[in-house]
Amino acid sequence: MFFAPTGIEEAVKLLAEHGEKATILAGGTDLVPKINYYDLRPDILVYIGGIGLNFIKNKSGRLVIGAGTSWTSLIGNALLAEKASALAEAARLGGSWAIRNAGTIGGNLANASPAADLATPLLAMDAELLLSSTGGARIVPVKEFFKGPGETALRADELIAEIYVPPVKGKTVFLKLGRRKSMTLSVVNVSVCLDMEDRTCNEARVALGSMAPTPIRCTKAEDKIKGKKVDEALINECATTAIAESNPVDDQRATAWYRKKAGQALVARALAQAAGIDR
Amino acid sequence: MKYALSFNLNGNPVDALVKPTDTLLDVLRNKLHVKSPKRGCDTGDCGACTVLLDGQPVRACLTIAMTVNGREIDTIESFGSKDGKLHPLQQSFHEHGATQCGFCTPGMLVSAKALLDKNLKPSRDEIVDAISGNICRCGTYYEVIEAIQAVSDGEGKE
Repeated sequence: MFFAPTGIEEAVKLLAEHGEKATILAGGTDLVPKINYYDLRPDILVYIGGIGLNFIKNKSGRLVIGAGTSWTSLIGNALLAEKASALAEAARLGGSWAIRNAGTIGGNLANASPAADLATPLLAMDAELLLSSTGGARIVPVKEFFKGPGETALRADELIAEIYVPPVKGKTVFLKLGRRKSMTLSVVNVSVCLDMEDRTCNEARVALGSMAPTPIRCTKAEDKIKGKKVDEALINECATTAIAESNPVDDQRATAWYRKKAGQALVARALAQAAGIDR
Repeated sequence: MKYALSFNLNGNPVDALVKPTDTLLDVLRNKLHVKSPKRGCDTGDCGACTVLLDGQPVRACLTIAMTVNGREIDTIESFGSKDGKLHPLQQSFHEHGATQCGFCTPGMLVSAKALLDKNLKPSRDEIVDAISGNICRCGTYYEVIEAIQAVSDGEGKE
């Protein structure tokens, strides 16, 4: 069966009614290859492209992004460029034009790939998700949302409605290493937020993607750099710590060994950029 | 269970009966017999099935057909004029030899048209970005970029 609800209430009612049998369809860029290639035949498709979740707003300093917002809409948005440039950069580097036109931010999170590019900057910015169901709504921090590859805190009767990005002090950076420049998943990606005062770091957040079963925050690395004067040696120490917190696998895109080597260089580069240090 | 789907294809209203999991590519090629979108990879990687959905390039193979109900789809069948004259991009691809086996060409042309529709004078980097999701196994990229650049510079225009 196919349903195209026209509002969020109608959509969550369908999810409540059909439970595990219902599969949410948004941009389709992750779901449809599984239908085409792996004979996935969802009993019930609930298409949420028409329920009004395509928006980016500023709500008392906090960024509110509708889960149905496409990657393309994230790239050219002035609010995002000002308040969450790392997220816009992650969107810019993802897929190809046609994929970015269809794929959505909510879909990227719900699909829960360890390499989900939009998850890493959202983790680094302490973003939260508004999950809706007929029972109401609940807020789950992005860092508690991912449970494993393809597994999330989302219940069968819930959908991701909105993404909240709190105001971020300082500079945010997103860097991605893929096997090519375009049309590729991350071998490793990193997002950092550093709030600097002169050369001293007041606040630090470091997130890694494609380096563990889920995108992760590297809290030990953050503690290494917080409150200290940032120089090249500290950056390298912090990058080493971040990689020690990761747990990558060998897969078709890279070996764990390579991911650690390249990831360390990428974290160090991101930290230097965020701290404004020439290398 | 089948559903009635209606949308505008190349400016004309069309109808089809589709299954919930049928893709737009299935419907275009097998039900409506529009053959320019090619089935290459069926995973969205190759770009050979790229069509315009409300003017924006998307993959027909990743688009569940029912999601285009009431919307506009354009393929290169609509690019030239009714009397058979080629679109300036098609003419330029022809003049620059920007095609070899031709399998990727419809998708390349769709991406190129979408680019020029929003940006009349794209830089070389913008052209490369626009077609970075269109894979050509014959390696005609250089000629494709030249062909698009020629149209955007005014050469080859009517």
